[in-house]
Amino acid sequence: MLSFLPQLVVSGIASGMLYALMALSMTVGYRATTVVNFGHGDMLMLGAYASYVLVVGFGLPVGPAVVLAAALLFLVGVAAQRFLMQPIIGGPHLSLAMMALAVGYALRGLARIEWGNDVLKLPRAYPSGAFMFGSVVVTTDDLVISAAVLALLVALYVVFNMTAVGRVIQAVFQTQRGAALVGINVRAFHATMWGVAAALGAVGGVLMALIVPLTPDIGVATLVRGFAAMTLGGFGSLQGAVIGGLLLGIMEKLLGFYVSTVFIDITAYLVTILVLLIRPKGLFGQHATLRI
Amino acid sequence: MPALLELSDVSVRFGGLVAVDGVSFEVAAGEICALIGPNGAGKSTLFNAVAGNVAVGAGRVLFRGDPIQDLTPHEIAARGVRRTFQNGGLFGHLTALENVLVGLHTQVDSGFFGLLAGTPASRGTEAAATRRARDLLALMEIGHTADHLAAELSGGQQRMVEIVRALATDPPLLLLDEPAVGLAPPMREKLGDIIRRLASERGIGIVLIEHAIELVMSVSDRVVVLNYGRKVADGTPAEVRADKKVLEAYLGHV
Amino acid sequence: MATGRRLFWLIPLLLLPVPIFLDQYRQYVANLILVYVPVGVGFNVVVGNLGQLAFSNVAFFGIGAYTSGILMLKLGLPWWLTVLPAGVMGGVAGAAASVPALRGVRLFYLAIMTLAFGELMRWVYIRWEPVTGGSFGMAVPEPSVLGWALNVESRKFYAFLVLVVVVIVLTDRLLRSRFGRAFVAIRGNEEAAAAMGIPTDRYILLGFAWGGFVVGIAGSMYAALVGHLSPASFDLTELILQFAIIMVGGLGSLVGSVLGAALLTAAPEFFRDLPGFEELLFALLIIVVILFLPRGLASLLARAHPVFDDRYFRE
Repeated sequence: MLSFLPQLVVSGIASGMLYALMALSMTVGYRATTVVNFGHGDMLMLGAYASYVLVVGFGLPVGPAVVLAAALLFLVGVAAQRFLMQPIIGGPHLSLAMMALAVGYALRGLARIEWGNDVLKLPRAYPSGAFMFGSVVVTTDDLVISAAVLALLVALYVVFNMTAVGRVIQAVFQTQRGAALVGINVRAFHATMWGVAAALGAVGGVLMALIVPLTPDIGVATLVRGFAAMTLGGFGSLQGAVIGGLLLGIMEKLLGFYVSTVFIDITAYLVTILVLLIRPKGLFGQHATLRI
Repeated sequence: MPALLELSDVSVRFGGLVAVDGVSFEVAAGEICALIGPNGAGKSTLFNAVAGNVAVGAGRVLFRGDPIQDLTPHEIAARGVRRTFQNGGLFGHLTALENVLVGLHTQVDSGFFGLLAGTPASRGTEAAATRRARDLLALMEIGHTADHLAAELSGGQQRMVEIVRALATDPPLLLLDEPAVGLAPPMREKLGDIIRRLASERGIGIVLIEHAIELVMSVSDRVVVLNYGRKVADGTPAEVRADKKVLEAYLGHV
Repeated sequence: MATGRRLFWLIPLLLLPVPIFLDQYRQYVANLILVYVPVGVGFNVVVGNLGQLAFSNVAFFGIGAYTSGILMLKLGLPWWLTVLPAGVMGGVAGAAASVPALRGVRLFYLAIMTLAFGELMRWVYIRWEPVTGGSFGMAVPEPSVLGWALNVESRKFYAFLVLVVVVIVLTDRLLRSRFGRAFVAIRGNEEAAAAMGIPTDRYILLGFAWGGFVVGIAGSMYAALVGHLSPASFDLTELILQFAIIMVGGLGSLVGSVLGAALLTAAPEFFRDLPGFEELLFALLIIVVILFLPRGLASLLARAHPVFDDRYFRE
C-alpha cells in the first residue's frame, strides 16, 4: 500500500499546482481590496471558455490564446471592480459578498446561454504521454501545468520583491491609508489588482481546460478548492495560498486512495469547515486588518 | 460591606506588551471616580478589562465582592455593570426608543414560547417595557427623540440616549467612556450635572474616562491617574492636581 | 399602527377564493409562491435581521424537503405529520450552521463555510442513495392532511396558506419582541449588544435555528408540491433565487420576504427550457438592487404607506 505513496504525492502536487494558482490569484485580489471575490471561480471559467473560443473558433495556438484570454479577463476584472464593487465599498459586507457572487452567477449564466450545458474539450496542444521516474508516473499534462505555474510563481515573486512596481504593491497591501498619503491612487490600484487576479485566474482556467472538460460549472468547484487552499494556508497569505494549494492536492489524493474515493469530492469542503472551526488562522495566517 | 468595585493588582497583556500593570483601586456606591492619564496610559484597556471586553491577565476584579474578571461581557452587564462606548455604541439604525428597549433587555421578562403564542402576559410585558423606555427618555428631557433613528440625532442627543440606555436597568455601576468628547461646553455642563445627580440621587457608582480636565475636576469625588499602565496617583481632584508625579506624567508625554 | 397591521389579516382572507379562478398550472405556480414565502422569511431572519453572512439556506430547504419525503416514503407517515419534523431538522441544521458563527467566524469566512456546508449537503443527497435515492432522487407519496388527500393543487393551496400564515405570524411576534430587537442589535453592533446583557452567542444560535426551522417547513411544503425530490433542486442556482428573493424584496423585512417570493418565484418557470437565463436574470436583479435600491422593494412600499414599514431594521 505504502508503495503507492510517492505516486500519490507526486500526482497530488501536480493537481495542487492548479489549486495553488487559484488560491494565489484569489489572495492577490483579497489582499488588494480586502474583499473576497465570490465570483472568482467563474472568472476562471470565463478565461477557459475564452481560450476555447480563441483556439477552436479562431485557430490560435494555445500559447497566444492564453495570453489573450488573460488580457481579456484582466479587463473584465478591472471593469467588475471599477463599476460594480467600487460604488459599494465601505457598505455592508453582505452587499460586497452578494455583488461578487452575483457577478459570478451572471458570467455563468452567460456562458450557459452561449454554450448550454454541453461539455467542451480543448484540443490537445501537445502530445499526451507519460514519463516514468522509478515507480512514479508523471504525465505530460502534469509537467506542463506544473512548469507553467512554477514559471508564474517565479515571475510573480520577482515582480513583487524586486521591482519598483512590486514595492508599491507591497506597500498598499500593508497600509492603504499610508499608501494614499504618499500619493498612490488606491482606487486605481484596487481595480488593477482585481484585473491582475482575474488574469491569473484565467491562466489557471486555461491550464485547467487542458485536463478537464469545460462546462459552465467548473468555476464553482475551483472556487471551493481555492477557498480551501486559502483557508488551509492562512487567509491573506501569499505563500500560504501556494502551500495550501499543494497540500490540498496531496490530501485529496491520499484520502481518496487510502480512505475512500468519497474524499476526492469533499476534501475541500471538509478542510474549509474544519480549519475555520479549529484553527481559523490556518498555517501562515495573518490577521489581514487592512483599513480602507 | 465590600466596595462596589474593587480592582486588585489587575494586569492586562497583549502578547509581549503590558498595557496595564498591577493596578488597584476601589469605587464605592454613589462615588464618582475618574480615570485619567496621557494617551496610551492604559485607561481604555483597563476599562475594557473591567467590562469584560478584554482578558485580564493577572489580578482580580471584584464587583460587590464577587470576582468578575473571568466573565463574559454580557454576564458582567447582566450583573449590573453597564457601560457606554466612545463612539458608535448606539444602534444607529434603531430609534432612540428601541435603543433604550435593548438596554432594558435583561429586565423584559417575556419568555420565548409565551411570545410566540402571543399570550396576554407576554404582550403586557412588552408594552410595559415600551412605556418604561419612553418614560426614561422623557426623564432625561429627550422624550421627543424617542421615535427618531439614533443615527439622525445630534451628537449631544446621541450621548444622552446612550446614557439613558445604559441606565435603563438601574445598574449599580456605570462605566462612562469619554462621555464628553465632541460636546460643546454647555452640553458638557449639563452632562456633569447629570453625572452628579446619578451618583447622589440614585447611589450609582460611576467610573469615567475623560480627557476634559475641567469636567473631571468638577464632577469627580476621586481621580485615579495612570501612566504607562501603572497607577501613579489616587486621591481627590485637589490632591491629584497638586501631585507632582501627575504633572510629570503628562509633561513626560509632551 | 396596530389597527393598520390588523389589516394584513385581510390578505389571507382575500386569497381564499383564488383557486376558483386559476387553472391547475397557474395554481401550481401560486402554490410555489406560497412555498417560497417561508423560504424568504427564514433566510431573512438570519441574513437580514441577524445580519450574518450565512449562505446555507438551501441546505435547510433540502434537509426539510428530504426529511418530509423520507418520513413519508420510508415510514409511511402522512404529510401533515412530517411538517413539524422537517422544521425541527431544519432548525437543527440551522443550529449546526451557526456553530462557526458562535466560534467567532464572521463575515466572508462565515459565508465561505456556509457555502461549503450547503454544497456538502447536496453531495450527501447524491451519495446517500439508500436513503435519498441518489442522483435520480426520490418520489414523494401523495400528501394528505388528517386523511384529506391533497391530490389537487387547490387543496394544497389551502394547506400551504395555513402554514404560511402561521409562519408569518410567529415570526412577526418573534421579531417584534425583545428577541427580535436583540437580533437587530447584534447585527448593528455585537459588542454593544453584549454590553446590554444580551448573550449574543445564544441569540445567534436562536436566530439561525428559527431561520432553519421556518425554511425546513418550507422544504416539507416543497416536497408535497413537487412530488419528486432530486439533488439538482438544491444547487447553487437555487441559492441565487433565494438570495434574489430577500434582496429584491428587502432585507430584514417580512413584507420584503413576501414581496420577493411573490415576484420572483414564478420566474424560473418561464426559463425552464432556457439554460442560463435564470441565473443571469437573478444575478442582474441582485446587482441592480444593490446599486440602486439596497433596501429592496419593501422600502418603496414603506415610503408609500407606513403600515408596510416593518420596524425591525432600517438602513
